Amino acid sequence: MNIVVLCKQVPDTESKIKLLDDQSGFAEADIKWVLNPYDEFAVEEALKLREAGKAEKVIAVAAGPKRAEDALITALAMGADEAVLVEDDLFNWAEAYQVAQALAAALKEVDFQLIICGKQAVDDDSAAVPGMLAELTNIGQMTVVSKMELNDDTVTGWRDVEGGAQEVLEGKLPLIVTANRGLNEPRYASLPGIMKAKRKPFKRVGLADIGLSSLEPKTKVVGWSLPEPRAEGKMFEGNSDDLPQRVSEVVKLLVDEAKVL
Amino acid sequence: MSKKRIYVGGEWLIGSTDPADVFTPEDFSKEHEMIYETTMDFVRNEIMPQMERIESKDFEFSREIHRKAGELGLLGTDVPEEYGGMGLDKVSTTAVGDAMGRAGSYAVTHAAHTGIGTLPLVYFGNEEQKKALLPKLASGEWVGAYCLTEAGAGSDALSGVTRAMLSKDGKHYLLNGEKMFITNAGFADLFCVYAKVDDEHFTGFIVPADTEGVSTGAEEKKMGGHGSSTRPVILEDAKVPVKNVLFEVGKGHKIAFNVLNLGRWKLGASCTGGAKQCVSEAVKYAVGRTQFNKPISSFGVIQNKLATMTVRAYISDSIQYRLAGLFDDKLDTLDGHAKKEGMENAKAIEEYAVECSISKIYGSETLDYCVDEWVQILGGYGYCSEYPAERSYRDARINRIWEGTNEINRMLIPGTLLKRALQGRLDLLGAAGKLTQELVGFSPLGVELPDTPLAVQEQMVAQCKKIGLMTAGVAVQKFQQKLIDEQEVLELIADLAIEIFAMESGLLRAQKQLDKNGEEGAKYHIAAVKVYVDDTVPKIEKWAKQLLAYVEQGDTLRTQLAAVKKLARYQPIDAISLKREIAERAIELEAYPLFF
Amino acid sequence: MSDVLVLAEFKGAEPKKVTLEMLTVAREIAADTGGKVIAAALSQDAVGVGEQVGPYGASKVCRVNGVSQYHPQGYAEVLAKLVAEEKPDIVLLPATAMGKDLAPRLAAKLDVGLASDIVGFRLEGGEFIAKRPVFAGKAFNEVAFLAKPALATVRPNVFSAVPGEDGAATEEATDAAVGEALTKLVEKTAGDEGQLDLTEADRVVSGGRSLKSKENFAILRELAEVLGATVGASRAAVDAGYADPSMQVGQTGKVVNPSLYIACGISGAIQHQAGMRTSKTIVAINKDKKAPIFQLADFGIVADLFEAVPLLTQEIKKQTQ
Repeated sequence: MNIVVLCKQVPDTESKIKLLDDQSGFAEADIKWVLNPYDEFAVEEALKLREAGKAEKVIAVAAGPKRAEDALITALAMGADEAVLVEDDLFNWAEAYQVAQALAAALKEVDFQLIICGKQAVDDDSAAVPGMLAELTNIGQMTVVSKMELNDDTVTGWRDVEGGAQEVLEGKLPLIVTANRGLNEPRYASLPGIMKAKRKPFKRVGLADIGLSSLEPKTKVVGWSLPEPRAEGKMFEGNSDDLPQRVSEVVKLLVDEAKVL
Repeated sequence: MSKKRIYVGGEWLIGSTDPADVFTPEDFSKEHEMIYETTMDFVRNEIMPQMERIESKDFEFSREIHRKAGELGLLGTDVPEEYGGMGLDKVSTTAVGDAMGRAGSYAVTHAAHTGIGTLPLVYFGNEEQKKALLPKLASGEWVGAYCLTEAGAGSDALSGVTRAMLSKDGKHYLLNGEKMFITNAGFADLFCVYAKVDDEHFTGFIVPADTEGVSTGAEEKKMGGHGSSTRPVILEDAKVPVKNVLFEVGKGHKIAFNVLNLGRWKLGASCTGGAKQCVSEAVKYAVGRTQFNKPISSFGVIQNKLATMTVRAYISDSIQYRLAGLFDDKLDTLDGHAKKEGMENAKAIEEYAVECSISKIYGSETLDYCVDEWVQILGGYGYCSEYPAERSYRDARINRIWEGTNEINRMLIPGTLLKRALQGRLDLLGAAGKLTQELVGFSPLGVELPDTPLAVQEQMVAQCKKIGLMTAGVAVQKFQQKLIDEQEVLELIADLAIEIFAMESGLLRAQKQLDKNGEEGAKYHIAAVKVYVDDTVPKIEKWAKQLLAYVEQGDTLRTQLAAVKKLARYQPIDAISLKREIAERAIELEAYPLFF
Repeated sequence: MSDVLVLAEFKGAEPKKVTLEMLTVAREIAADTGGKVIAAALSQDAVGVGEQVGPYGASKVCRVNGVSQYHPQGYAEVLAKLVAEEKPDIVLLPATAMGKDLAPRLAAKLDVGLASDIVGFRLEGGEFIAKRPVFAGKAFNEVAFLAKPALATVRPNVFSAVPGEDGAATEEATDAAVGEALTKLVEKTAGDEGQLDLTEADRVVSGGRSLKSKENFAILRELAEVLGATVGASRAAVDAGYADPSMQVGQTGKVVNPSLYIACGISGAIQHQAGMRTSKTIVAINKDKKAPIFQLADFGIVADLFEAVPLLTQEIKKQTQ
């Protein structure tokens, strides 16, 4: 049984996001690119399953521009066995559906029973590719999982939902599982792993190679904006007598204006 | 395929270097980048959150960290693969040391273990010793330490009195003596101990910590590095089998001097890593701290500090990685067999002994400057242990002292250069002689400079080399063999050499960036070099004049001073504005802005 | 003319607040473009849906029976059929655990794209343009839809739920048969009694040395319970022994990044600020109006925390439940 781990290259979460002058995107000049942190949990889980003898190969797959190969190399350095990059510039801030279709096409050539990936990519935060891919390949899904077990061909997943509650799901392979923080403690890319990575099989394919002559988007990003700068705070001074009133006012603002309640 | 040019140690004083030949951080391969990142991640996740625990001398915990580091390969970059190491290039080792420079007291444990703790075996161990011991050191199962210093033998290392007497049955040496200031002693498994056989022959011995007769004294109460163990090691009839002699009886000094070269360069690398951390931390604080209704990062005085720290760290980085590249190029010329013979490696590295000393001096003095300014920028908070600046300030101070004091290293620079000149390895005197001819008709104003961003700096560095060469030549001619007793002169020559190498290293790096990415892409590299050269040329002039005024008099002195003045003549640049640009870049990124 | 289909999500028999928020949004769009709002209710537990969603703008509720328990393929099948029948221009789902699990599957089934977790929208020439956060809210994207229906998940607690003048919606019930679930729900465990770790918490209530004792932290715990928040402390409070070191927020403590940070009796010196300055909304309560924390706070109440905090607890209970 082989496990596919979906990877995405994203800006490091510490990066400051600056928009281009024409607001058509964000500036890539000072960005530090890394493997999506949630995908690290996925790689680790796959490696653990392989080490437990439950899987044979861990195959890291990504869709991205050329620089995305670095994210796959990180996965290889962590211990993944092979990597596949669907390479095209259109994947630079592509919509989730395009990515899902490309991955579905690429995975036709891959022998796998389980896909694990991060619950979302920390750049676009869409959390959509896994579900779309599941539908396109007609397999089951367990999303936002912080614990999973594989016994023979049955996956048990503990899914995080509202209120700190968890749903325990069961499903048979093939399946896609999306990883939440807490699934495991991702290992470092050790120096031996780093040196071995460059010798591991790395397949690069273009859209034509996977049978997609074109990949038309169904949505379009028509504008970028930054959040409003923090406005000056409001002070509520007074005395003990009017305190209940002041408190009530603040709470109302928290509900209506700040929308945090 | 053209072979890479191998530069002779010290050649930069008399010739020029092609920027394409110099290794810079911007030349990191993907593997180098990942190695650096893994080490940084390790330090950030495993060490920084546990600083207090490490500082409390929880050595069991230090051992745990050490083992984890070993598992990741962070202890074996210099150990050949066949002995359980990673067998990586020197750039990789520099990257690991650079990142480790932020690991506080663990950085000391790490450096002592991987440098002086492991390298004597790598270079001078025989096959049996290497096979038995290196895998345990590289994996972190064992911690290594190095016993050279004694109460009466510091800078004068070879004057140690620890003795080794061969037993009657010829099977053991009995070692007696006390070693001082031994790093890692509190939890080391293996010591490399130097002792004099028959009170005369300086020899290195491999001594396991559990050897009968070996014990350690109490922990030193130090200014800093509290999380690292520093103890005396006491040898009382310590029974060391004959097979544990390292290399050859009486040749211990060879081990010591060769290991010191690499130890110095490693120290330079980790000091530079620490200096870059100072910049990143100071700028983060300055951006968040508001006074007079503005973040203090917007004040000129603070920007001046941030820029100066950045420039110094940039130059130090340029030196460390240039040196790593020189090592790797030279080591690549050794065939497989020679590479395996650790001694050949040591000889190759000895080529750059002068550069190693420079690296150590420059790195430690840069760190001290940066750590001091970090404390200053934090104001009162810098003085409080709540912020890491305070600990870093205390931790940094030892770097100018150990691994050969900076004073000793300064003496070594002209000493070694001259020795090589006399051996015919480096044509210093010939070059100095040619220079005298050249200077007779020299006029800097006549030279037409190309209109490139660093043309002026290129010219000034070349002029400074001439100043250095000329001044050193005058001193050598005057004092001949007695020059060794003129320490102030030697110090001045050393300073000249250090700053020339420093300026040139930064210049070559910036030039390489300029060639690759154009003026806009190399903007901050160029700014850093311009500022540094602007600041340093007057120092070169001052030192040369001081030296000449001591050595010469009358008309000869006047002529020579005039030559120096001509060579040093230079239109000052607007360094204040350039420094503001550099500071603003650091502020924009909220981090040290000139690493990959 | 834009018709909007809203997937109503329920908690037991009642629609969740996000359902009413989505309906309000849908009603606005429909009013602006002359369309109508249809609610889809797939949950078997919902009762009297028509009365509940009607006032918020739904003219019709499609009750579909046949999926006894939620699973993404089943719901996607049902909704896809509804979409084929009703042909809405826009479909809204809640960005809840269920909605986020379902929407991508539905999008692929309908062969359309998806705008996740939208926090705003506008109509340009009748076209729906959604605004959604990216980079954890460090920036926003405006997304236009090139295929119909436009599919979006709506973030809870962003839009207001405002009832209008309309009466109950008509209910249409249908039965649906769906394929077998590829994943089954085996068990649902209750919410964790313990607090979320400070660094993960979305809401934090912190106390300073003014709390005066360990016991007094109880009033903060009461406030935290009402909010579902984690309790933190300043270094001064920890040093004085009023709070455990694991609760410390600041330079030598933890760095938190919640949507709501309430600082009670904390002066707000720079070491503390270092640990919480990126919080989305900061409320400060302090007797001293010159306390540095007020420079950082969005809402500052100058008062004795022992009076203010209990009042705050009460008021929040009142206004949010």
